[in-house]
Amino acid sequence: MATLGRTIGLLLTWTALITGLHLWLNVDWSILFNDRLPEGERKLNVAYIPVT
Amino acid sequence: MTDYVSRFSREGSLFIPKKFQAFPELKDALIANRMQAGFIVAPMAIALRSQGVPIKIVYLGHRYGSAVVVRRDGPVHTVRDLAGRTLAIPSRFADEHLIVIQALRRNGMKPGSVHLVEMAPPDVAGALAVSAIDAFSMGEPYPSQAEMGGYGRILFKAQDYWPDYMSCVLVVRQDVIDRRPSAVQALVDGIARSGLWLDEGRPNREAAADFVGRYYFNQPPGLLRWALARDLTRVVYSRLAPRKADFDMVRDLMLQTGTLKRKIEFDEYVDTRFADGAAGETAWTYAPASATSR
Repeated sequence: MATLGRTIGLLLTWTALITGLHLWLNVDWSILFNDRLPEGERKLNVAYIPVT
Repeated sequence: MTDYVSRFSREGSLFIPKKFQAFPELKDALIANRMQAGFIVAPMAIALRSQGVPIKIVYLGHRYGSAVVVRRDGPVHTVRDLAGRTLAIPSRFADEHLIVIQALRRNGMKPGSVHLVEMAPPDVAGALAVSAIDAFSMGEPYPSQAEMGGYGRILFKAQDYWPDYMSCVLVVRQDVIDRRPSAVQALVDGIARSGLWLDEGRPNREAAADFVGRYYFNQPPGLLRWALARDLTRVVYSRLAPRKADFDMVRDLMLQTGTLKRKIEFDEYVDTRFADGAAGETAWTYAPASATSR
């Protein structure tokens, strides 16, 4: 029983770690927060590709 | 490139720059209103507007800056040598496509005499290095990447066949133009000032190469220095107001190549008032050292 509990705990910790890393590395929070501002206060999202 | 100091406008940071790897994804983000403005190739902007997408061209990103590159030790030494070979372009809806068509025609060749393939810009130099393609037509810094790598040689620059060549243009969604014209003007003013600053001389170009390579393009600053600072006429960042004659030529070439289905007039896809508003702008006063350390 203790082994099962420890395994579940490890899995939950691992899942939380991966989720946290994903949210930190892959989510553009500046765009998400900006999209929730009133239109007049919103910054414009300007797209570019790495060419000249 | 021109957007990098425009973030720091008089009103503070008004813009969030977002990098894409290829034009199709960028186009979709504009259509879905995830992006309110963007730098895309001029023919794509014209085609989107003709299809009813609510965007307008308000400014250019630069002039020149594209080239056709072949293998350094390969058999292609003239445009006529391209016959039957495979040449990569970023999109059928790109000026880099139209410049190839121009060059072929000027050399008495038919557009179909070269096998054109679409390829994302970051992939072309590697494809040329391993001989997956024979040539590519692309904007900087990819011609420079092939030159620096020792396997590429410029066959011709865009301006050799198209004086005052333009490629990327700034498009803005029509709802933003209607509701927030002052924000659009601030963006265009910032780009105009950035362009003038970039064209002031080599130290500014080198500072921009370092800054943009590190924080925007995620490319080696040395590569951007090669593209921007060795020859200052390789890419030019002034004279960026949209001109009807330039766009009429692009539109007519698109009609001839079948990438545009109907004749669309300049006023339908360009809004010149923001370029007019930026006409009196002067270069930013940043010293190059402060730009790199920012």
